[in-house]
Amino acid sequence: MDFNEVNEPCDISEVQPASEIVKIFCTGAMSYGSISAESHETLAIAMNRIGGKSNTGEGGEDPLRFEPLPNGDSKRSAIKQVASGRFGVTIWYLANADELQIKIVQGAKPGEGGELPGGKVDKTIAAIRYSTPGVGLISPPPHHDIYSIEDIAQLIHDLKNSNPSARISVKLGSEIGVGTIAAGVTKAKADHLVIAGHDGGTGASPLTSIKHAGLPWELGIAETHQTLVKNNLRSRVVLQTDGQIKTGRDVAMALLLGAEEIGFATAPLVTLGCIMMRKCHLNTCPVGIATQDPELRKKFSGSPEYVVNYFFMVAEELRLIMAKLGIRTIKEMVGRVDLLKTRDAINHWKARGLDFSNILMPAEIVYEDTQVYQTIKQDHGLDKALDNYLIAQSQPALLRGEKVRIEHDIININRVVGTMLSHEVAKATHGKLLPDDTIHVKLTGSAGQSLGAWLARGITLEVEGDCNDFVGKGLSGGKIIVYPPKSSSFKSEENVLIGNVVMYGATSGESYFRGIAAERFCVRNSGANAVVEGVGDHGCEYMTGGRVVILGNTGRNFGAGMSGGIAYVWDQGGNFARMCNTETFELETVEVTADIDELRTLIEKHQKYTGSKVAEHILANWKTELARFVKVMPTDYKRVLNEMSAAKVATAAVGS
Amino acid sequence: MGKPTGFKEYERKTEPYRDPVVRIVDFNEIYTAHDETHLKTQGARCMDCGVPFCQSGNGCPVNNLIPEWNDLVYNGRWRDALDRLHSTNNFPEFTGRVCPAPCEGACVLGITSPAVTIKNIEAAIIDRGFDEGWVTPKPTADSTGKKIAVIGSGPCGLAAAEQLNTAGHKVTVYERADRLGGLLMYGIPNMKLDKHIVERRIQLMRDAGVEFIVNADVGKDIDPAKLVADNDAVLLATGATLARDLPIPGRDAKGIHLAMEFLTANTKSLLDSGLEDGAYISAKDKTVIVIGGGDTGADCIGTSLRHGCKSLVNFELLPKPPAERAANNPWPLWPRIYRVDYAHAEAAAQYGDDPRVYSIMSKEFLKDADGNLTGVVTVNVDENIKEIPGSEKTWEADLILLSMGFLQPEHYINKALGMDIDERGNFRATKQDYRTSVPKVYAAADCRRGQDLVVRAINEGREAAREIDRDLMGNTELP
Repeated sequence: MDFNEVNEPCDISEVQPASEIVKIFCTGAMSYGSISAESHETLAIAMNRIGGKSNTGEGGEDPLRFEPLPNGDSKRSAIKQVASGRFGVTIWYLANADELQIKIVQGAKPGEGGELPGGKVDKTIAAIRYSTPGVGLISPPPHHDIYSIEDIAQLIHDLKNSNPSARISVKLGSEIGVGTIAAGVTKAKADHLVIAGHDGGTGASPLTSIKHAGLPWELGIAETHQTLVKNNLRSRVVLQTDGQIKTGRDVAMALLLGAEEIGFATAPLVTLGCIMMRKCHLNTCPVGIATQDPELRKKFSGSPEYVVNYFFMVAEELRLIMAKLGIRTIKEMVGRVDLLKTRDAINHWKARGLDFSNILMPAEIVYEDTQVYQTIKQDHGLDKALDNYLIAQSQPALLRGEKVRIEHDIININRVVGTMLSHEVAKATHGKLLPDDTIHVKLTGSAGQSLGAWLARGITLEVEGDCNDFVGKGLSGGKIIVYPPKSSSFKSEENVLIGNVVMYGATSGESYFRGIAAERFCVRNSGANAVVEGVGDHGCEYMTGGRVVILGNTGRNFGAGMSGGIAYVWDQGGNFARMCNTETFELETVEVTADIDELRTLIEKHQKYTGSKVAEHILANWKTELARFVKVMPTDYKRVLNEMSAAKVATAAVGS
Repeated sequence: MGKPTGFKEYERKTEPYRDPVVRIVDFNEIYTAHDETHLKTQGARCMDCGVPFCQSGNGCPVNNLIPEWNDLVYNGRWRDALDRLHSTNNFPEFTGRVCPAPCEGACVLGITSPAVTIKNIEAAIIDRGFDEGWVTPKPTADSTGKKIAVIGSGPCGLAAAEQLNTAGHKVTVYERADRLGGLLMYGIPNMKLDKHIVERRIQLMRDAGVEFIVNADVGKDIDPAKLVADNDAVLLATGATLARDLPIPGRDAKGIHLAMEFLTANTKSLLDSGLEDGAYISAKDKTVIVIGGGDTGADCIGTSLRHGCKSLVNFELLPKPPAERAANNPWPLWPRIYRVDYAHAEAAAQYGDDPRVYSIMSKEFLKDADGNLTGVVTVNVDENIKEIPGSEKTWEADLILLSMGFLQPEHYINKALGMDIDERGNFRATKQDYRTSVPKVYAAADCRRGQDLVVRAINEGREAAREIDRDLMGNTELP
């Protein structure tokens, strides 16, 4: 491909200055964990200096980095990624974002999740990710809360509630048909789309994927832009592309094909000293970038200036091209495929079969007044949320930390209840959140989806009635209590009370459900406690922390990939073992006093909050019923607990 | 790489040389025997880089498959390692001894830690190969009936001859000296490269069918035009043998010699008679000054020490290089840093001090009434080689050796053939096709590009062989 220099060139001084151009640049979603703290922070500092955006990747971010440095620099990543593993996605993490990015795929390996080998999961990283040290982390291929386009619309809405000032981005991979998907996601109210090309993300991808999966970003961005313009959706989203973009020429191509923001990863890392060792998966990166080895990290020699320099040089090269094309601003450039042509010089028999006409076809305008770049903001409908009322009522708590009690009816159009309030709590307390039960909200009726998503500590949601899917998703210290109407006559333990994917990615807090939960209960729970009276299939999948008490039956595939936390299951029928996917854990009896106390406390609380009859029965017959509890103990978690207690004994010995 | 964490666990340790005090009383090789366990851990330090610069343009000129044989050595697969090594390098026993190892300068590990000991490993692989009897004459393809003359038996000529021989051509190598090997034989002293090692390789080539003719100075004893007429191709691999002289007042004093006069005579006498015939320039009890601080200068120091010189000084025009890479000399460029070569260590052991003096320029040689050298007047210079006034000094000396590099090939073959030379006086030919302006005549290595490393000569010999084969046969399978 070549540039079609048909326009009168303009003087370079008339072109947008580089300092503005660099603001459209982002760095790639390389997580802290995949790369070292030094390199991750250096990238963030550099991007904050130039006004671009760095990306956390899917591994969370140390809250210490949210605070600006004394010299005015900041290590905070503007883009906070939310991936299927939901590592470290707390309300405070979400509140510290300019952009929240839902990672659907990585361009180099669509259909696979991120992989972090156990050797790289040291204590700090495990803490930030709420996972178990030494245990490899494989992000599940799907998001457990996205099984349809409606689900993604819901997640976008959830995230928007968690931080109304952040734009919501969805990262898609360049594939055939991505345009259609992009149109759907735009209608689902995404503010920003990333089309990731197949050449990116190579450091952490299996060879087979690098070679055989994905398509070049050129194809994806062209298709997406054309589809969005044709459907008059382009004006609602910002389009970004990435995947081995390195030069001003690459950037110019991407803009002309329809992008307005550009992501880079390899090249900025190379400026920081990456020598493309292809050892990212071995933890032996000799320049201290893709490693967590403390000795090797000392060898990191990068500095933010290098990255800043690089981006300015890319911008300057882009300006030269813009001047030649007679284009003065980035916006004018978007989607101008008429300024691209196939290169005449390539005269190769293999090139004869290539037909670029579909890529170089100007986007068709069907509707009047169609804009070809983002000009209007999505309407997320936050003004209709019940939380506006809750926030207004909670002012005493937000301003002065006073206790507040709110009572209100709820119906299923009230979605994401408690999340905007949690955002306000996080902001008001600067991440410290509030003491338990400061704001008590009593709701009566049938709650809509995502009740109490990322609910902050200090907020208690008590629902008399029932709930839809996604209750307590990402729970961040809050407390959720759900029980059937007190007047109901059915047995709660035999009826479904809450929907699918409850407590997905919860990091702390507690919840009590007097009734049965549907499928995927507590998937990726990494620190919250939950009591429920029965679960559907895939309970506690990929769980890495917290306690789950199940006073009833479970569905199949229980505990698949569970590497942390403990589940206590009341196995009345004696058939629980058959329901388990025991690859990563062992089934034990509850014998240790600490365990018994923990279990009893949880059941007592459950009884107290929900008036559970099952709990009442168990507590009344404690000796007999205790024997029927099965303890689900992940082997890796057991190892870590043993190591920790051994270390404690050792320190104690030294101390004496 | 063998071991992913090898570079963290083991430190770089090169194989030691023999004790300097002991080794300077003989001309035997300075090396100690290889220790396989040690080399295994050194091989484990290799990181099997995604982009192995050691075998790239900045590293090994013959693109040795370094990470591969490092791994094979770590895993004890010496035979496989030898095959991988021979696949790119005809004479690893030479480069494993005398190469300055640009590969180690480009080693990726060198960015943050000392590089892998690539050169030691290379030498160990080939020495083991010879010990085990794995190195045999290279099999040849069916005869093509083509005849090729190679002029010069240095590393380039030998490499080209071996490659062309394996392709099935009839190769004859012409050498003007009485022994084969060019600078490998008479340029590099025996303690650095034992001459039996050179002869061993030549014998293998002879056994494979290469014909060698010594005492045959093409352009003087033999008519080059006839050689061109009688052969299908002629490769000039004559080297850049015209040394840089120092034409300052007093140059005619008795006792000033070019390094090659000194080193050649020494090795010849050593091989002919064990230095019994006295047909060499002795430094015994002499006050020696070596002018020129390169590898040849070091060889002059080493040889003078073995003769038993009284004192020894080495002049270098340029300033002392830094201990670490300077800012303008980043990885993976060849590190221009201060190094202590074998001869410097020997001089230091003998006299307690490094013999090198930096930033110094010779102004005039002094002689007595009989024309015998008595000393030299020098002046100090700054980093731009500007003389510093008032820094003149007179040094006593009765033997001065000039080792200031080489300029270009000697110009008699080209004149006889009416061949073009380039602006630097080298035979004009490109690295793409190695063709000179005379049909059928090719030129490679130092006579084409100017003085350079043994390993670059091997590289050009291989490439020239490939191009000759291509021109003669229409296509080529030579690498």
